[in-house]
Amino acid sequence: MLTKDQRDALQEIANIGMGQAGEVIARVLNEFVTLSIPRVLILKPNLIAPALQRIVNSEAVSAVRQAFHGNLRGEALVLFGAQRCNDLAGLMGYEEKIDHATEMEILLDISNILVGACLGGIAKQVNADIGFSAPSLMADHVPVNEILKISDVSWECALLLEVNFKLEKLSFACHLIILMPENELKTFAGKIDRFMEAF
Amino acid sequence: MQTKDISHLLDFVVDRLEVGIFAVDVEMRIVLWNHFMASHSGKHSEDLLGKNLFEAFPELPNEWLKKKINNVFILKNYAFTSWEQRPYIFQFQHNRPITGGVDTMQQSCTFLPVKNTQDEVEYVCITLFDFTDTAIFQQQLNRVIEALKIEKAEQLQLSKTLEEAQNQLMQSEKMSSIGQLAAGVAHEINNPIGYVYSNLGTLEKYVQDVFGMIDLYEQAESAITDEATRVRIKEAREKLDMEFLKEDLRALMNESKDGITRVKKIVQNLKNFSRVDAFDEWCFSNLHQGLDSTLNIVNNEIKYKADLIKEYGDIPEVECLSSQLNQVFMNLLVNSAHAIEERGTITIRTGMREKEVWVEVADTGKGIAPEHIKKIFDPFFTTKPIGKGTGLGLSLSYGIVQKHHGRIEVQSEVGKGATFRVWLPVRKPQGKQA
Amino acid sequence: MAISILVVDDSPMARKMLIKALPAHWNVKITQAGNGKEAIAEFRAGKVDLMFLDLTMPEMDGYQTLEAMRNEGLKCVVIVVSADIQPIAQERVLKAGAAAFIKKPVDIQKLEPILRQFGLLE
Repeated sequence: MLTKDQRDALQEIANIGMGQAGEVIARVLNEFVTLSIPRVLILKPNLIAPALQRIVNSEAVSAVRQAFHGNLRGEALVLFGAQRCNDLAGLMGYEEKIDHATEMEILLDISNILVGACLGGIAKQVNADIGFSAPSLMADHVPVNEILKISDVSWECALLLEVNFKLEKLSFACHLIILMPENELKTFAGKIDRFMEAF
Repeated sequence: MQTKDISHLLDFVVDRLEVGIFAVDVEMRIVLWNHFMASHSGKHSEDLLGKNLFEAFPELPNEWLKKKINNVFILKNYAFTSWEQRPYIFQFQHNRPITGGVDTMQQSCTFLPVKNTQDEVEYVCITLFDFTDTAIFQQQLNRVIEALKIEKAEQLQLSKTLEEAQNQLMQSEKMSSIGQLAAGVAHEINNPIGYVYSNLGTLEKYVQDVFGMIDLYEQAESAITDEATRVRIKEAREKLDMEFLKEDLRALMNESKDGITRVKKIVQNLKNFSRVDAFDEWCFSNLHQGLDSTLNIVNNEIKYKADLIKEYGDIPEVECLSSQLNQVFMNLLVNSAHAIEERGTITIRTGMREKEVWVEVADTGKGIAPEHIKKIFDPFFTTKPIGKGTGLGLSLSYGIVQKHHGRIEVQSEVGKGATFRVWLPVRKPQGKQA
Repeated sequence: MAISILVVDDSPMARKMLIKALPAHWNVKITQAGNGKEAIAEFRAGKVDLMFLDLTMPEMDGYQTLEAMRNEGLKCVVIVVSADIQPIAQERVLKAGAAAFIKKPVDIQKLEPILRQFGLLE
């Protein structure tokens, strides 16, 4: 699907995008964020679920989805393991004791911030203009392998870009996964080529 | 279109769109306030422009909203809220006089970064959408789903009840067909047993008579003068070992009588079992007397196995078929004795609660396994080896107790013992068939 | 005399991007390395005046490389180049012995003042 050079370029683009995302989260929360090295995979849809299961080492996850559109089209998923958002609540301007609805609001907000920063960073590198839909709750404490049953993947194959974020001091971690359908990949590859030409 | 016209068009659209649109600057001062916001808040843009949003509306969730808006200034990205997590930001009236269920307008909002030419965010524009209709619909949907869940649970319960009723029906059908079988067998055996028993009685008497004769002959022995005859008689007596023969004959008679008596009892049980619905004499009787007389009968079965403890309570006389109840007690006592492997205790308790009397037989035997408890009242169910017990006792007892409009309760723990409690109404319920 | 530059990053793309961002008409000799181990090997092989160092690399990452250099007493100007640009990361890197920190993608406007500061550029 992508040549080795394109993959390499994509990896670097992802690095930069994710790095920016980490920075904004840190700024919003005033806490140090650990980022994993972004993982870039091209998969057939039926392999996405098992890939997710390997990546997210948790029994049950909550998931937020947010679509992006424009020069690049696809969906971002943010997966949260079984953690309590109480610590996060304080950092985001809530009272310490939060109810379920507030917990969901926090997940949606964090996801929105992450996706906006990360994808925004990537889009800027390749000179793509994109917009986002509102984030929505995809799953609340559901086993990982059921996440993508909920939204059936109707594409031929997909790009999977994954990174995980961990807050150093608090027990908070999540995985950001960016999915792009095959026909979008071609457009994206073109943009990557143009990016590489500049160097 | 001319610039002036476009500008006018835009102003109109922003102001009159049926969506709340307002904007603030970095200091949270209001720089835009459209008609929707004005008409719902009661405050107009003339009064609000330049004022701090949180001063103008102190009821807003201060900390959270400030941070939310600030994040847009910092991050330069859109942000969102949804009525599903946060029903409203501004407390506006919803205009649905007929449909109720929600108190105020349900809102979803978008926070838009408005950038200048240096790509810095100058203003944050907030759009507020009325989601009340969706919320009401969702609420109705949820109510329907809840109702369906309850109905499903009730149906499940119903099908469980039906299953139980079906089981009981099958049980009583089993009982009645076995009853018929038992009646047939009992009838067939009864006659031959009857005359074997009576013949044994006669035989016993004849044997007595013959021994009487032999005694007379023995006494007359000394009168025999012929030495040879005397010797022959003596030899014969020693060869036969007359003494032993007399003893053994007696023993044989007794054992045979015992055996036949036992068979008679079994036949009687079978006949009772099959005639459980036959007409009998109901009367008020003293259960303690019945228990004591039953204890006498089963004493042999119990005394080598268990210590007996009697804790009789204060109970009135109970309207019942006392011989049948005694059968139940006998059955329970014998079962308890059989359940005890080496030595144990059997405790009999009685008591009363409201309009019922209970009789309890508890043992420290090997107990009943959980998977068997459901089956113990089944005809022919037994955990004993073949030949030791018919497995009819408890099903017969169950039938008798049912006939008395009572119930039998079982509690058991494997290795610890079992407790059977029979509940009986003091008076036979009026108007019910025997 | 040509300044000896060592570019250390596991991504060939990243190295290209950095090199492209360097000031034009600068008298330099550039060598590349794919991780900390290779970097140290290059170091021992010849003189290095300036090192551009990425943080996230396999085998030996940026922090480990800085530590190894300090232990062996290898000295040069190290400018850390990273996508991870949190203030705390920058602090840690400077404490570990780096001279400066610059964020990816490298912007020549931001790079030049730093080079001047260390006398690597007029």
